[in-house]
Amino acid sequence: MRTHFFDKKSKDSTNHPWVALLGNPNCGKTAIFNILSGLSQKVSNYPGITVEKKIGTVKFGKKSFNILDLPGTYSLSAESFDEQIVSDQVQNWAKGENPPAAIISVVDASNLSRNLYLTSQLLDLDIPVVVALNMIDRIDSQAQIDQNSLKTQLSVAAVVSLSAKLNQGLDDLKEAIVTVINSEEKTNHQSNWISLPVQNELKPFIDQQFVSSKFGVAHALRLVSRNINHNGNAAQVDSIRNSISNLGFNPQTLEATLRYRWIDEIVKSVQSRAKTSIRTISRSEQWDKILTHRWFGPIIFVTVLYFIFQSIFTWATIPMDWIQTGIDWVSAFVLKNMFPGMLRDVLVEGIIGGVGAIVIFLPQILILSFFLTIMEDTGYMARVAFMLDKSMTKMGLHGKSILPLMSGYACAIPGIMSTRTIDSWKERLITILILPLMSCSARLPVYTLLISAFIPPITLSGYLNLQGLTLVVMYFLGTATALILAKVFSKFIKEKTSSSFVLELPPYHVPIPRSVLRHVLIRGKLFLINAGKIIMAISIVLWFLASFPKVDQSITDVNPIHYSYAGKIGHAIEPVIRPLGFDWKIGIGLLTSFAAREVMVSTMATIYNVEATGDNIVNLREAMRSDVDVKTGMPVYTPLVALALMVFYVFAAQCMATFAIVRQETNSWKWPLFMIAYLTILAYLGALFVYQGGLLLGFS
Amino acid sequence: MTLIDLNPGETATINGISGNSYLLNRLVELGLLAGTEVRMVKQTPFNGPVEIKIRNSYLTIRWNDARQVDIVV
Repeated sequence: MRTHFFDKKSKDSTNHPWVALLGNPNCGKTAIFNILSGLSQKVSNYPGITVEKKIGTVKFGKKSFNILDLPGTYSLSAESFDEQIVSDQVQNWAKGENPPAAIISVVDASNLSRNLYLTSQLLDLDIPVVVALNMIDRIDSQAQIDQNSLKTQLSVAAVVSLSAKLNQGLDDLKEAIVTVINSEEKTNHQSNWISLPVQNELKPFIDQQFVSSKFGVAHALRLVSRNINHNGNAAQVDSIRNSISNLGFNPQTLEATLRYRWIDEIVKSVQSRAKTSIRTISRSEQWDKILTHRWFGPIIFVTVLYFIFQSIFTWATIPMDWIQTGIDWVSAFVLKNMFPGMLRDVLVEGIIGGVGAIVIFLPQILILSFFLTIMEDTGYMARVAFMLDKSMTKMGLHGKSILPLMSGYACAIPGIMSTRTIDSWKERLITILILPLMSCSARLPVYTLLISAFIPPITLSGYLNLQGLTLVVMYFLGTATALILAKVFSKFIKEKTSSSFVLELPPYHVPIPRSVLRHVLIRGKLFLINAGKIIMAISIVLWFLASFPKVDQSITDVNPIHYSYAGKIGHAIEPVIRPLGFDWKIGIGLLTSFAAREVMVSTMATIYNVEATGDNIVNLREAMRSDVDVKTGMPVYTPLVALALMVFYVFAAQCMATFAIVRQETNSWKWPLFMIAYLTILAYLGALFVYQGGLLLGFS
Repeated sequence: MTLIDLNPGETATINGISGNSYLLNRLVELGLLAGTEVRMVKQTPFNGPVEIKIRNSYLTIRWNDARQVDIVV
């Protein structure tokens, strides 16, 4: 798979030279990117692109350059999808395909040797490298680094020490980059770390397309040492491995051994006064005595979870009320100031009603992604993965599944994209498959509407609110089903994989407010743009289907929507959903929900607005409650129907954007189709069970 | 002896890693090479992952993988 970061269309600042930002996970790379690029940052994102590419423009004096942020990686031999992106990119540069003018290699100054491993691999490219020694504020006076000596020994263009947290040294970095970009000097990093006999053995695997022969040799060694599919070359790979072994080297550890030997020498000489010992107990380790304690750890995590969900369902209601007031005001304003007619109808009933129903749960998305970003940036999320790995593995998942699954409560799409850090394909696939069962915020408006309309606000045994309890049950139902199915899938899915869990527990950090804020705002923006586009289009189409053909009101007293296109479609599918207790109006809602779940609410709003002939936007809750079957005179919607409908929404395969992203991430139609099939069956049976079971028990 | 034989707080030197090449690759890149010192930081119940300190970082690896890491005390 080739991913092209700079396709023709996105080259809006074409004339600027560009630099690439690379580094280990947790080295503070993204914070540096956020601060350097400021507001110029552009994120191209889902749907449509598999790779989240972040490009920014940096100005320094009269010069400016573009900067590209790549995912964090420990090395160029890729294991996870994220690392594959980096390794593919670097290989393209090595072949001379649009290489950067310079590479910024971000290095965590408090963990020099491990971080310099990637730097040493990048040196092979013979592209100028600027080493950014980040987190310089974390190292004590004894561990001071001799920067000049480091620069000479690595033979890099510059070494700049900085602290993204304290906003120090970033101008020095910019200056160093500008100097390097404008330098005419040829780059030729010294590195003869692989002995000639070994190089000769590797010859058959050295790709002549690589501009730098050093990179060619290193790449060949990485290819030979890994147990990947060697496509018919397996015998040759074996014989090369044997010859290297006969020379006295272990081919599988050769690269790491030689590089670390070189790095360890350098680190020893530039940090001569450092007294590092693995016996030193860091401050983070002290914290972890409690935070990942075998009993306290899980208790603290559950408390954190409780706090997050509490805030989503209580704090969020305040800004949500403001938004509702705003929407009501806008539609009243339009109603008052526009001439009655088709344009006003489509604006008020279609667009404002439809889009308004979506904008309202933006606060919940923002709050959830705020907490997830904090958990990730502080380093706590890695601890959660560590604590939960054992139980997750028992259920067929992976410790790193926890972040995607939690993101799934906001939206399945960023959740699916964040599964890329799971370095085992089978566990990653299972996480993707069950993700739609985590009740995303798009389902919240559906639950909220139905609960407030049909579940009585009774307080059970003193403090349990029945409405709140119903909501919790819906979330629990989805999550529990997800975990059970994960176990089931892991028994049936036979994907070749080597599962492992190697995770660094980074030192705890105080998150950088600017960086967090920017991340949360980008999430919100993407949600609005993506959801907004689909919903606006569907609202307009739906309004049209529900309003035409027009009937003469004088010849019938039945509501005109019955005769509309939408009414006809709804009536046509009614027999299929009747056993679930759903009528034709819900039928229309179910169909439009396939685009996105929240459309259900706006659909009902549109239908009832159209049905109500007056000039006021009806209160949807009241309208549904008082809707009466014309023939029987009985209410159309009962608490039982509402419950069945909610269960349907817990499971149902809705949201086209999710399936589009699954198609991309699994690179096949098989898995998205499987997902739609199993979710639809689950939804139908679930709702059938609730409705028919409820009828048998004497509920109506 | 392997890593799991270490009690929390005990240190040792790595002798080598057996097991599948995926794991081997990952661990050597992170610096778990023969001759490197390692300290067991934490073990979790029911043979859950272990936390170790190596070079200047804290790593967690699964119990089964830790069993593949040969050590000398």
